[in-house]
Amino acid sequence: MNSKKLMALAGVTALALASAACGGGDEGGGGGDGKTLNVLIAANTQYPDEFAAWQKDISTKFKAATGAEVKFETFASANDELTKIQTSVVSGSGPDVYAVGTTFTPTAYSTGAFVKLGDEEWNKIGGKDKFNPATLGISGPDEQNQVGIPWVSRPFVMAYNTDMLKAAGIDKPATTWDELGQQAKQMTKGDEYGLAIAYKDNFDPWKFVWGMSVQAGNPLVDGKTAKLQDPKVQKAYDTYFGWLTRDKVVDPAAVGWTNPQAVAAFAKGKTGYFMLTTPTAINSLEQGAVKGKWKFALLPTVPPGATSRPSNGVEAASILSGDNLLVADYSKNKDLAFEYVKLVTDQETQLDYYKKFGNLPANAAALQTLSSDPQLGPVTEAAKKSVATPFTGAWGDIQLALTNVAVQSLPDLGKGSISTQQIDARIADAQKSAQTALDRAK
Amino acid sequence: MTILARPPEETTAKKEQRRRGVTERQRPLWLLTPGGVLMVLVILIPLAVALWISLIDLDQYTLRRWVEAPFIGLDNFVESFSSGLLNSIWISVSFAVLSTIATVPIGIAAALVTQNKYRGRGLVRAVFLIPYVLPSFVVATVWRTMLQPDGVVNAWLSKVGIEGGLWLTGPRSYWALILVEIWAAWPFIYLMALAALQSVDNEVHEASAVDGAPWWPKLRRVILPYLRGPVLLACLLATLNHINNFTLPFVLFGAPAPEDVNVMPMIVYVTSFQSLRFGLSAAMAVLSLVLIAIPLFVYLRAVRLDVHEEGARR
Repeated sequence: MNSKKLMALAGVTALALASAACGGGDEGGGGGDGKTLNVLIAANTQYPDEFAAWQKDISTKFKAATGAEVKFETFASANDELTKIQTSVVSGSGPDVYAVGTTFTPTAYSTGAFVKLGDEEWNKIGGKDKFNPATLGISGPDEQNQVGIPWVSRPFVMAYNTDMLKAAGIDKPATTWDELGQQAKQMTKGDEYGLAIAYKDNFDPWKFVWGMSVQAGNPLVDGKTAKLQDPKVQKAYDTYFGWLTRDKVVDPAAVGWTNPQAVAAFAKGKTGYFMLTTPTAINSLEQGAVKGKWKFALLPTVPPGATSRPSNGVEAASILSGDNLLVADYSKNKDLAFEYVKLVTDQETQLDYYKKFGNLPANAAALQTLSSDPQLGPVTEAAKKSVATPFTGAWGDIQLALTNVAVQSLPDLGKGSISTQQIDARIADAQKSAQTALDRAK
Repeated sequence: MTILARPPEETTAKKEQRRRGVTERQRPLWLLTPGGVLMVLVILIPLAVALWISLIDLDQYTLRRWVEAPFIGLDNFVESFSSGLLNSIWISVSFAVLSTIATVPIGIAAALVTQNKYRGRGLVRAVFLIPYVLPSFVVATVWRTMLQPDGVVNAWLSKVGIEGGLWLTGPRSYWALILVEIWAAWPFIYLMALAALQSVDNEVHEASAVDGAPWWPKLRRVILPYLRGPVLLACLLATLNHINNFTLPFVLFGAPAPEDVNVMPMIVYVTSFQSLRFGLSAAMAVLSLVLIAIPLFVYLRAVRLDVHEEGARR
């Protein structure tokens, strides 16, 4: 009986171990042509078929160039990706190349799981010079410690309804936030509103606040100190909420809008400006009533309450937005990984990617060819005038804290008014969690 | 089986002794090994790891060498309480209890309605199951659309002269969450109640008929007592399901959630996957587990889950 018991136990244990081993993942083979490069990339739900075709095309080109296969793995959301990074980082195996959003790059950097790029690595992918200099702003904390290779840009701009601006006697889109508010008032009448803003979006609100603060000379983070409790930040929230509560230039329903809902509202043709969008919205806009009657413009770069930027203010037209490519430190195929990065950051591949998916090239030469396109002019300019958000592992928390101020203010916005005290109290909470996060940053 | 086949020459006394030995001491417990190994792999090891993580300072900076992450004792637990966990527990528990209380009468009523045979009963039963078979994600997405400030719900409300307002932010979000949870969860009570109704012996119905019991006393004094066990079990399971429901609040409200619906799974999620404080979130999860386990334990002792008569005797 005892021996039977032991045998059974041994059998089951062996089975369990075998099944555990199965979860280990499939790495590329020993050497030569049989290698496989694993690339983790965001799923494209907007153009799934084109995306599959693009992956196939890249695989073919990569195989022709190196003899190795590329295997794409997709993630649906930033959280999926984070989970993947976590498990890979802990286990020391997983994708060789990661496509990581710009604002998430500092967090990824803080895990210390990615290859730092020296001259040798940059040369392998065709040199640092081939990129739009602005896009390198969020590759690492400083020049010596870069991990992110710019892949695509999605700079934020605003879209405006050309007919509505004309009808209101406005000859050019606003360049200061105050001017924007003024123009929005001119256009608001009946069921027409000056601005479309996604107040309930989980990512939009902090971008406004960051932008206005940076333009006023407060980058929100100074070394290890959070600077959220500041009149400039307060003014930014006040302006952002004020469009709805004070100026009443936004549809009251916007309290419940996420970004796609704001796109849809603007596409109906009854809103003057749609704040904070990217070229990926072009298709949605061209399918709406606003078709042929809209243009992109740079977001205002003069802070609220001012007619010109203060001397310490930064001309931030957009957060530095897009994707970086990171090569995993544990990868056994680093050379192949850089070959892949080189391929997808080359001018031709980048332009092709832009045409298929509306993501702007990080490749400087490719971007230059697009700047002559009148529709894209402002977007390429925004790509050049993009400013990186602070490079700290605490940024994720700070971003969350800034968004939370807006989230918790929504009920007040719904009622139609919000007091300075309420805003201040919520900013104080945000300051606290931002500082806690910065204190932990290493 | 082979053990039970005895050689004939054994004495009766020996036989007795041997049989008792077989049933009590030499039971083939090793047959439980596969299940046991799975339990260890799937439940105990992760639980132990979670306990360990709750005692170390694990975040994005230490993740890579997580084995070497600094041990900080109970600091994470202390910090949990100052990070709003108590409030979240209160929201979670009240939400779960209210949802359960509301779904029980609906579920039982629905079960009674579909108990007797009539034309189209199959269809009604199928329709009743729709909320249950729809994925939580779909339910939440549809309700989120309907509960928009300019959505269908507010349009209907305004037709009857009620000002709708905001359902997905502020204090009302709590009631919106309960409403949607009730909509999605009542069929579970219905299923359990229906199963219990089906198990009521035909003799019971006949006896009631012979005694001439009117429908209400029959329902209250004869039928409902049969439902007690299964429905209490359903209540327990449903409450736990409500407490653990993450998809619904996440899809309905997004993260960061409004303070009024910052339920336990949401706060653990945000702490873990947005703030990347794995140690802190593990401590929160462990605390939630303990806090839920206490009433659960008391409750289990009190009801003993007497679904079957044999259970009641033991």
